[in-house]
Amino acid sequence: MIYDVRQVTTYTYASKVSYAHHVLRLIPIDRPRQRVHAAALDIVPLPVERREGSDFFGNRVTWISLDHPHDVLIVKVAARVAVDGAGEPGAGGESWERVRDLAFAVTDLGPRSPAHFLFASRQVPLDPEIRDYAATSFPAGRPMLAGAIELMRRIKDDFVYQVGATTVSTTPPMSFALRRGVCQDFAHIMISGLRGLGLPAAYVSGYLRTIPPPDAPRLEGADAMHAWVMVWAGWESGWHGLDPTNAILAGEDHVVLAVGRDYADASPVDGVVFVSGRQKLSVAVTVTPVSASNS
Amino acid sequence: MAMVGDSAERPASDDPFGLVAGYSPLPGIFDEMMDADRRVRPHWRPLLATLGGLGPEEINRRFAAADRHLRDSGVFYRVYEDPAGGERPWPFSHMPLILDAAEFRSLQAGLIQRADLLEAVLADVYGPANLVRDGRLPAALVAGNPEFLRPLVGVTPRGGAHLWLYAVDVGRGADGGWWVLGDRTQAPSGAGYALENRLALSRALPDAYRELRVERLAAFFQAFQHELSSLSRRDASRVCLLTPGPMNETYFEHAYLARYLGFLLVEGEDLTVRQDGVFIRTVSGLRRSEVLVRRLDADFADPLELNARSRLGVAGLVQAVRDGNVVIANGLGAGFVEARALLSYLPALAPMLTGSDLAIPNIATWWLGQAAARDNVMTRFDQMVIGSAFFEALPGHHDAREVVGGTLDPAQRARIVEAISHRGVDFVAQEAVTLSTMPVALDGTFAPRPFILRLFLARAADGWTVMPGGFVRIADDIDARAVSLQRGGRTADVWVPSEHPVADTTLLPRAETIVVNRATGALPSRAANNLFWVARYVERAEATLRLVRVLLNRVMEADDATAPVVARISALLVAWSAVPNDLPNARPTLTVLAAMQRRDLEGALPHHVDAARSAASVIRDRFPPDAWRALVDLADIIAAPLPAGAPDIALFDRVNAALRIIASFSGLAQENMSQLIGWRFLDLGRRIERAIVTCRFVRRLATDVFPDGVLDALLELADSQITYRRRYVMLAAPTPVIDLVVLDPANPRSVAFQVDRIETHLAVLPRQSAEGRLSPPQQIATVMSSALRTTEAAQVDDQLIAETERSLLRLSEAIAAAYFTQHEPSDGKWEAPG
Repeated sequence: MIYDVRQVTTYTYASKVSYAHHVLRLIPIDRPRQRVHAAALDIVPLPVERREGSDFFGNRVTWISLDHPHDVLIVKVAARVAVDGAGEPGAGGESWERVRDLAFAVTDLGPRSPAHFLFASRQVPLDPEIRDYAATSFPAGRPMLAGAIELMRRIKDDFVYQVGATTVSTTPPMSFALRRGVCQDFAHIMISGLRGLGLPAAYVSGYLRTIPPPDAPRLEGADAMHAWVMVWAGWESGWHGLDPTNAILAGEDHVVLAVGRDYADASPVDGVVFVSGRQKLSVAVTVTPVSASNS
Repeated sequence: MAMVGDSAERPASDDPFGLVAGYSPLPGIFDEMMDADRRVRPHWRPLLATLGGLGPEEINRRFAAADRHLRDSGVFYRVYEDPAGGERPWPFSHMPLILDAAEFRSLQAGLIQRADLLEAVLADVYGPANLVRDGRLPAALVAGNPEFLRPLVGVTPRGGAHLWLYAVDVGRGADGGWWVLGDRTQAPSGAGYALENRLALSRALPDAYRELRVERLAAFFQAFQHELSSLSRRDASRVCLLTPGPMNETYFEHAYLARYLGFLLVEGEDLTVRQDGVFIRTVSGLRRSEVLVRRLDADFADPLELNARSRLGVAGLVQAVRDGNVVIANGLGAGFVEARALLSYLPALAPMLTGSDLAIPNIATWWLGQAAARDNVMTRFDQMVIGSAFFEALPGHHDAREVVGGTLDPAQRARIVEAISHRGVDFVAQEAVTLSTMPVALDGTFAPRPFILRLFLARAADGWTVMPGGFVRIADDIDARAVSLQRGGRTADVWVPSEHPVADTTLLPRAETIVVNRATGALPSRAANNLFWVARYVERAEATLRLVRVLLNRVMEADDATAPVVARISALLVAWSAVPNDLPNARPTLTVLAAMQRRDLEGALPHHVDAARSAASVIRDRFPPDAWRALVDLADIIAAPLPAGAPDIALFDRVNAALRIIASFSGLAQENMSQLIGWRFLDLGRRIERAIVTCRFVRRLATDVFPDGVLDALLELADSQITYRRRYVMLAAPTPVIDLVVLDPANPRSVAFQVDRIETHLAVLPRQSAEGRLSPPQQIATVMSSALRTTEAAQVDDQLIAETERSLLRLSEAIAAAYFTQHEPSDGKWEAPG
């Protein structure tokens, strides 16, 4: 499937910002089962400096500095991306205990190495209660993916999707106790549970197609940025995208923007501005199929 | 502890004066001063002989002198657990640790090897990562380390190194050999404290210090200073010491080292990153810095690419490092090699990375992320110390970083064993080490106590240089394993007697002094702002005290004639929010008590004094220590409870004492601060505030009708009675009083005098506007001063005074806009690079 992705991010400040630095992770890149045909970023006001590069995890990064006093910052993304559906993950594969031991023994420090995704990270502490919740899905000897998929479904069943129930500063233990949240909370909870068991889990930020295909239900998170999880199931099986918000495998409807240990690594816009008073953020996203052929 | 001495068994030459006659090493434990047969080791004998020769009374006098030095220089240590953020006095143990010169040389060589090893590990993990690829370091051990800062991977640091200052904690085991207990590479503390300890002790014991030919510390600091300064490519750029600020436990040391080394003490908000580098926000505009000595944890150093929650860092600093625009010492990410888990791999890495085995072993450590180590450790669990593999608290033990296996109850034990079986990657096991002891003076005698020795290495032009001394932390308990100043304990100096004459033996006090030329004009805006406000708050406190004193005088001679003065001054205090507005006028003592004591009123004295002290605390490096002490004394005297009974007299005494302290503060600032730009901001604050309060006194007391006594009260408030009486042999009359208090440029309390001084200062400050034009603050001051100069005393009315007061408030804002807030122009016209 080929999509046109449009995102407009608008920051409105209560007073003029005289100088600002931002880090943007808004341009999708080629990934397994994803090809980027074109992508462009439009920033107002015009940055005094703009450079492109990659972060540690290989995500495309744009660094900008703004030196013109401004009270509105607008970042527009336009991209055309082709996505393949995921194949069936295969029911077998390694046991979760084996996956854990493999991950502990990795001798690779590259961006996709499972070693990076085993530990507590900035926004994902390891919490004994979340670990115990996850452990139910991992009886001895169960294949890694089977356990992860069951955990994903339990999160969908046990938690209420509710915009506004949590904020960006809500921690996974807090949203776990509330049993509610949005995509980011569910991803963080699932990651925390898996890592608590010693299993590699990564955070993915990206998009869902806005209007579902005929006869398919509309997915949660389709009109905003979305987040889901990738789990590692051993060398042969590799990484798999699991979307606990919708209890589906990440497939033809998921466009990947950035991958990291948690939201802090993959956040689409980071910035440091000195401003008195409040700032307001609005994000508008559309993901429209261009055609199903050609993909 | 009993220490039954039997000095008769010992040769007299050991300890000719019987100074340590009652001292006995603990059984089975190595003692630095005495061997197992209670013979004093040779390298301690000269100290005991010199010290013993002084006699007990003189020793006590000398030790007290050292304590006084430390107290007077303001050494302190902030205690995190103290809810009040308290500072504790420096816990100094007077007996130094003596290290034999030959032994120190071998330690030195081993530590240089270790510094090279750690640098090589950092260069690899932030570079090609061969150690992981070749299976010499597990990837999980690197990836799980919170100080593995991914934004720095692939960045070769400018200057070619990650480590510039390296501290290492060592302890001596029962067999007499040294062990490395831990490495400090993040932002090593203690070098400045070592220097302070040395200054205190060498001044207290100059004879012993000379006799033993103790190696000096100055050369070490000079080498470090020289090396860092040489990294700047532009002459005009300044080396900065980046501190997290006064709430940090070792802030005193940051300020002390910055002053000693001639580096500029800055906080994150003093710096800004632009396309071509890192700049200091100063009152003269942006000034480049190419070298930052970092005392801020790396994760907090850049909210943009590291911890976004940090309010202490500098946005864009990682980018500046990537671009090679700045050297950070130690480099961002250097804290990686502090992780305990690494200790288990360093012995095997040493031969490959340094060409030989570790000369000084580190404490035996097993990382439990590997099955073989895990199984091995589980068989000896009770003898092992279980710790966090990296830096966090031990999982499941929120307050502890380590536990001893054998001390756990069955439930704790089961929990930790299960946690290790799930996530062994989070744990290390270490062999317990029994530390050696050194003598500590306790209750008039000496007793052995375990200690940890911290040694310092600095990168210099020709390689690592080792500080010939160090920083000792001594445990309070006999069997303490972990020694931390946060948990109590004391510190001591470390003496390495030289085998050769040391340089500068005749100029002891100067031997530790580096002559530094401080560039002028690089006053950070934040420091200027704080100096300005310290002075304003102190002046406001003084004005409040003077009002209170006038009231008290009237209370003591209460009659009907004083009523108008009491009413007007009480009204002024209400207008200032120094007292609540519902107090009965008939009870001025209540008004006085409120103004002196109410902590909830923002115009009352405690608020001004606290505000002055807190503004001063962040710029302590710029204050004469005595001026700082005056502020502390002022806060103490205001906070002290009043004695019951005779409140008026007690209050009167207190007001006078507080005014005397303020006078001494002002005098110290005037006499002991270099009259550079910082002093000008301090004086500007004082002059502006004094002019404002004098205007308010005049408006309240002397611009309408003049009931009995109000003009006398005004003269009293303006401290001008004596001048007035000398000039006019008559009762206070409106015109001459107003002339003296408002217009007379020769009266140091008049408004005109303050404005005159303000103009002088503004003319010397860096210009912030186009060539030939007056700066915005100057424009305001000039208009004000012409108005005052062209007005006759008889014409002075409420309107003129009110206009002057408004101008002063606008002037304060204009100074803030021009020098403190640093809103750069949008056309990018900040100061050209260096």
